[in-house]
Amino acid sequence: MTGKVGAWPFVRLKLRLTANGLRGRSSRIALFVLGALFAGFFAIVGYSSFAIPGVADSLFAAESALPLGGAALVLGWLFLPLVFFGVDESLDPARFALLPLHRRTLITGLFAAALAGLPALATLVASAGMVDTVARLGGPAAAGVQAVGILLGLLLCVAVSRAVTSAFATALRSRRSRDLAAISLALLAAAIGPLQLAALAGAQRADWDTVASVSRVVAWTPLGAPYSIGLDVAAGRAWQVPLKLLISLAAIAALLWWWSRTVESAMVGTAGSSTNRTSASTRSPVDLLLLRWAPRTRFGALVSREIRYWWRDARRRANLITFSIASLFLPISLAVSTSSPGGTTIFVGVLAALALANQFGFDGTAYAANITTGVPGRVEINARAVAHAIYTIPMLLATATLIAVLSADPARLAGTLGLLLAAYGVGLGLVLPLSIRAAYALPDTPNPFAMSSGGGAAKGFLTLAVLLAGVVVSLPLQLIALFTAPVWLWIGLPAGIAYGAAGYLIGSGIAADQLDKRMPELLAAVTPNR
Amino acid sequence: MSLGGLVKRFDTKLAVAGVSLEVPAGSFYGLLGPNGAGKTTTLSMAVGLLRPDEGRALLLGYDVWADPTAAKARLGVLPDGVRLFDRLTGPELLGYHGLLRGMDAATVDQRARELLEVLELGAGNRTLVVDYSAGMKKKIGLACALLHAPRLLVLDEPFEAVDPVSAALIRDILQRYVAGGGTVVFSSHVMEIVERLCDHVAIMSSGVLRMHGPLDQVRGDKSLEEVFVQVVGGRVATGSELAWL
Repeated sequence: MTGKVGAWPFVRLKLRLTANGLRGRSSRIALFVLGALFAGFFAIVGYSSFAIPGVADSLFAAESALPLGGAALVLGWLFLPLVFFGVDESLDPARFALLPLHRRTLITGLFAAALAGLPALATLVASAGMVDTVARLGGPAAAGVQAVGILLGLLLCVAVSRAVTSAFATALRSRRSRDLAAISLALLAAAIGPLQLAALAGAQRADWDTVASVSRVVAWTPLGAPYSIGLDVAAGRAWQVPLKLLISLAAIAALLWWWSRTVESAMVGTAGSSTNRTSASTRSPVDLLLLRWAPRTRFGALVSREIRYWWRDARRRANLITFSIASLFLPISLAVSTSSPGGTTIFVGVLAALALANQFGFDGTAYAANITTGVPGRVEINARAVAHAIYTIPMLLATATLIAVLSADPARLAGTLGLLLAAYGVGLGLVLPLSIRAAYALPDTPNPFAMSSGGGAAKGFLTLAVLLAGVVVSLPLQLIALFTAPVWLWIGLPAGIAYGAAGYLIGSGIAADQLDKRMPELLAAVTPNR
Repeated sequence: MSLGGLVKRFDTKLAVAGVSLEVPAGSFYGLLGPNGAGKTTTLSMAVGLLRPDEGRALLLGYDVWADPTAAKARLGVLPDGVRLFDRLTGPELLGYHGLLRGMDAATVDQRARELLEVLELGAGNRTLVVDYSAGMKKKIGLACALLHAPRLLVLDEPFEAVDPVSAALIRDILQRYVAGGGTVVFSSHVMEIVERLCDHVAIMSSGVLRMHGPLDQVRGDKSLEEVFVQVVGGRVATGSELAWL
């Protein structure tokens, strides 16, 4: 009994899973509504921004803004899942491994299901602003062509995000190739970095002709091609439309093909390579667990286990790698574009703390061991923060050094590090209570970017909100640093450490109290539904 | 162990509807029930992993919800369907559990080595627990529960997925433990094991205790399986259906 299977059952399955995930769970519904609000906000802002050139009746502005804006959308779909959101893996490809489905059917279905979601809808509405602009400039025919363009653009966005995250997940899954994956990720970021620098440097000189010429080039790449075809009709270059359509379709087809390759390996290869390290060790169990300097106590055991987990768990490792890259490239790009990288410092510091936002979700049901052994909340929270800080503080030091070098002012090192540490401490103070109140289960898939079904985007937005809050709370210190610039060189580091420590102590105290009261509830929250 | 009127609701479904159970000290207690009977839910509430909606649980006289530190210090648990910190190696995992229990490092080392040898997991084995077979995972979980020499062991499905040789070994360990004055409570749906090991049994279905007491009293002159099927109900044979199979 093998009938023809289309894409529609996959979409219905996805929607059904989302709805069931929400049923009877008010906190999830709240998160979902929050996510919907953010998506709506993004859609409205995006629509109105893309509609501006049309309202201003400027073909020149439109020819700059539309391809570049479209390219920004595609890049956003590429990078945001990697850094913040994760991918909604409610339809885990591995679950379909045993069903008699052709690869083509499966990919079409998964692709259609990926399109059925808030982010895709928001993107579509936002890019509809381009149709508005083109309609004002070139009439209904051009608008029709642009409408086809934005639909293709949406397909491109979703295909890019799926293909890249799936490829990364496959690469990071097997322990053998993790180093390779780390390098390729770094290379990718390294390729984006200089590009971004060039773009920002160009934008800084505010030479509109340069922007327009960049935009003309982008319009011929897959990033901008689908978003520029309506304009071509409006500008009387209709001959370009078929070529650009071809570019877009080829890009989408190539991405889908790439995705189908990695999905296939994800379906069969979940067992992973069990590198059986046969060389038996003669060291004692406690010595094997503890790092050399760790105290032989409960605290030492917790810290050592966490440190090993940050590296051995693919999800956590992906988190560390993306943060380390972000922490290096954000200051570079912003230091080039603006004279004061101060805002970035705070941003990087808070971003570091975000890794702990769902720290118990990483553990999943394994956290039960800490409950049955009766670990007090304060020890648990402090140990986890210390383990994370051991990875993070050297990175922050590297960021501070980088900023000092970039601004050609080595004396700024101490003050910048102070700001970073303050922001990190405040970020931890905000994130730790959140990690207990808003913990959520991660699915039992080996995909480090996978999120559980239901309100996946909303959880990403919640962390964004924390990021904002962290920046706001750190702002006073930033202002002090700005107004006392000469003195800040000297007091920056101690003042920053004090500010961060205060933030951490308040937040971790609240978190420890909550943990003592809510251990079983926390365990239930991080247990994946089976 | 003494459970008094434990109740747990999930959304609207009543998973455990008022379970009261007295486990005498030094007994080998088997908790029987079909899938979905509420065994795991009951044991989770008894050991402090799941907060009951009503009722209370005393472990060796300490209330696990009012005085968790005292109760948990005397308790060893092997939960089912719960992952271990499986990205540690076996020895590392035992070291972790030992130190979390507040034991001193020398004792942890000595006991962990002994447990790893006896359970044939290898004291120098550097395979991560995540790469262990299902049976090996059960064994390392049991080792973690035994490490601090608790007076009460609560084991959820300790014999599931364990090969016959290892099962015999685990049986021997548990029998010695009870002979030494320890108390074991474990859940299972394998009659033979319960019949062979336990001196007390309880039968659960649909969140309610149907029967409990000393094995001979529950069993009467029938086999435990007959009693179980009779108490729980349900069909054990097919009629004319499935003719196409």
